[in-house]
Amino acid sequence: MRTWRRFFSHWQGWLGLGLVSFFIVVATLAPWIAPPDDLANPGDFKVVGRRTDRLPRPPNAELPLGTAAGQIDVFYSVVWGTRAALRFGLIVAGSAATIGVLAGAVSGYAGGRGSAITLRITDAFLAFPVLAGVWLFQLVMLPLLGADPTPVMAFLAESNITPVMVALIAFSWMPYARLINTGITRLKTAEFVLASQSLGAGRRRLIFRHLLPNSISPAIVLLARDIGGMVILEAAFVFIGLSSGGPWAEMLVNNRNWIIGVAGNPLTYWWVYLPPTIALILFGIGWNLLGDGLNDALNPRDR
Amino acid sequence: MPPLLKYITRRLLIVPVTLVIITLVLYGFAMLVPVEERAQVYWPRNIDPEALSFDQYQKIIARIIRERGLNDPFPIQYLNWLGNLVRGEWGYSTNLRVWVFEYVQRRIPVTLELTLFAVLLFIPLGIVSGVLASRYHRGRVDHSFRATAFIATSVPPFILGLMMISVFYVGLHWFAPGRLSSSIEAIARSAAFHPFTGFMTVDGVLNGRLDVTADALLHLVMPVVVVAALPWATVARVTRAGMIEESGKEYAIAAQARGVSQRAIVWRHTLRNTLSPALTAGALSAATLVTGIYVAEIIFNFKGVSELIGGAVQTHALDIAAALGFAVYSVVLVLVIMLLLDILQAILDPRLRERIDA
Repeated sequence: MRTWRRFFSHWQGWLGLGLVSFFIVVATLAPWIAPPDDLANPGDFKVVGRRTDRLPRPPNAELPLGTAAGQIDVFYSVVWGTRAALRFGLIVAGSAATIGVLAGAVSGYAGGRGSAITLRITDAFLAFPVLAGVWLFQLVMLPLLGADPTPVMAFLAESNITPVMVALIAFSWMPYARLINTGITRLKTAEFVLASQSLGAGRRRLIFRHLLPNSISPAIVLLARDIGGMVILEAAFVFIGLSSGGPWAEMLVNNRNWIIGVAGNPLTYWWVYLPPTIALILFGIGWNLLGDGLNDALNPRDR
Repeated sequence: MPPLLKYITRRLLIVPVTLVIITLVLYGFAMLVPVEERAQVYWPRNIDPEALSFDQYQKIIARIIRERGLNDPFPIQYLNWLGNLVRGEWGYSTNLRVWVFEYVQRRIPVTLELTLFAVLLFIPLGIVSGVLASRYHRGRVDHSFRATAFIATSVPPFILGLMMISVFYVGLHWFAPGRLSSSIEAIARSAAFHPFTGFMTVDGVLNGRLDVTADALLHLVMPVVVVAALPWATVARVTRAGMIEESGKEYAIAAQARGVSQRAIVWRHTLRNTLSPALTAGALSAATLVTGIYVAEIIFNFKGVSELIGGAVQTHALDIAAALGFAVYSVVLVLVIMLLLDILQAILDPRLRERIDA
């Protein structure tokens, strides 16, 4: 309980938790906040008015945030974008963390040469730029997803897991492995672990009951920060054309010409790009602050 | 051997191991691409791919597959490819219509100049702002620092870039995209201007044309900020956290009790112990630099190596030679940055070099 008191004793924790819960609530209530045309099959975008009208319409009573290019309802996409962002962040960061924690735990427990080899591979992956990885994955996977799907590819296509997600998972697990590896190597010779071992505890019990719970807190902090970070990274990849992505990023790409604005005033068409940008930034800040709060609570030494 | 030299040698020996692991993964991936597409990586130099009819092209592809053993087992193919990499045979980009290796070679000074300025900005600035924030811990400086760092980590780099274009180029006319203004570009391309290094800022000084240097520097401001924002926040945060922890340790308190000035404690004692993790954080963010560099080069029309895959990314062309070439180039770039930061760390932190002797 001391942990939670520490978490709530700083504004970072409060604000982070508040922002994250706000996004979760909006994502859950999306069908009520911004009703789609077809409730059974809601799309990421809703067209209001004639598609051929070129100029974005400013906010009005009917459309709280106006429309973007192609008469897309901005408010609708921002609201439904929370679902895509949460899904993306949770799947990517969660899978990366799981892989990293397992690799770190097993190698840390094994120690010796096994640990050294795992750390070498981890370091090699750390030197690999995600951007190049995402592009290669995209090149290789997209044709495979289409024609003659193998079971793995069929599963990925079915569950809507894009090449970007796979690539980001493949190149984000390393920090977790390092953190856990260090933690477990240090704890392995602690007295309570040796005591448990001498009482006959098995390998699995030692790792999952004693070693992991006592070394996992930095990984949890990193996970919280990564959930926001991954969504922002995805937006960058969508923007440079590497892939398609969530509604927030797609709106920014489709409307990038309005960002420059008219005659050097970037605010001329503010409603077109500011709402998705602010949503993205708040999403990143929210998870970041939550991570900070967790850090204060779980690793009080860092304060 | 002096300990520092020993340390550097050891770090250098790790580089090939890392390269082998990464290239293994890379080629493993490339093997998933249909063999006909993969053949462009092996395109022979003496045949101009643009001057062929479709039938001739097909014949050459079949010949490459046969002669280069593209249906051989993985280890043999991998070693073949590795040999080609070392010899500078990086294949032909069907999308850009250039030889990949020559393209990278020609463009790399541009990217290196941008990277160098970004690294030279974010490491010292990150350390100094981290120190300042920790000295005024929970004060106004600290709070504004934390706010800025949050924004730097949460604003996507391309939004930052577009906003900067809108404000500083379209609005205020302070900076412009591109690498040089067109009038200066003409000077830089003229025969009298000798390209010593390929770095416009340095070449301007060496040629006695400070106007070129000034123009190049002005054009570097926006891309450098976009590249450096995220790693700056990372380094500064680690420095701040480390400084706060170190200043509470007994040696710092003892120094304070002896009457050592606060400034001396910070710059001579606690900072020395914090530099190591801060530089490690910088080295670890080297790989993310590549994304920033790509975004900056595309947005600001800064003609660097990123354009190697830029066009293919837009059209989703299956340009496997360019993709592999870009991956290899960026890995080497990251490894060089990491190595330099590691060496810097060993120079600054004697514990690192001593540990190897122990």
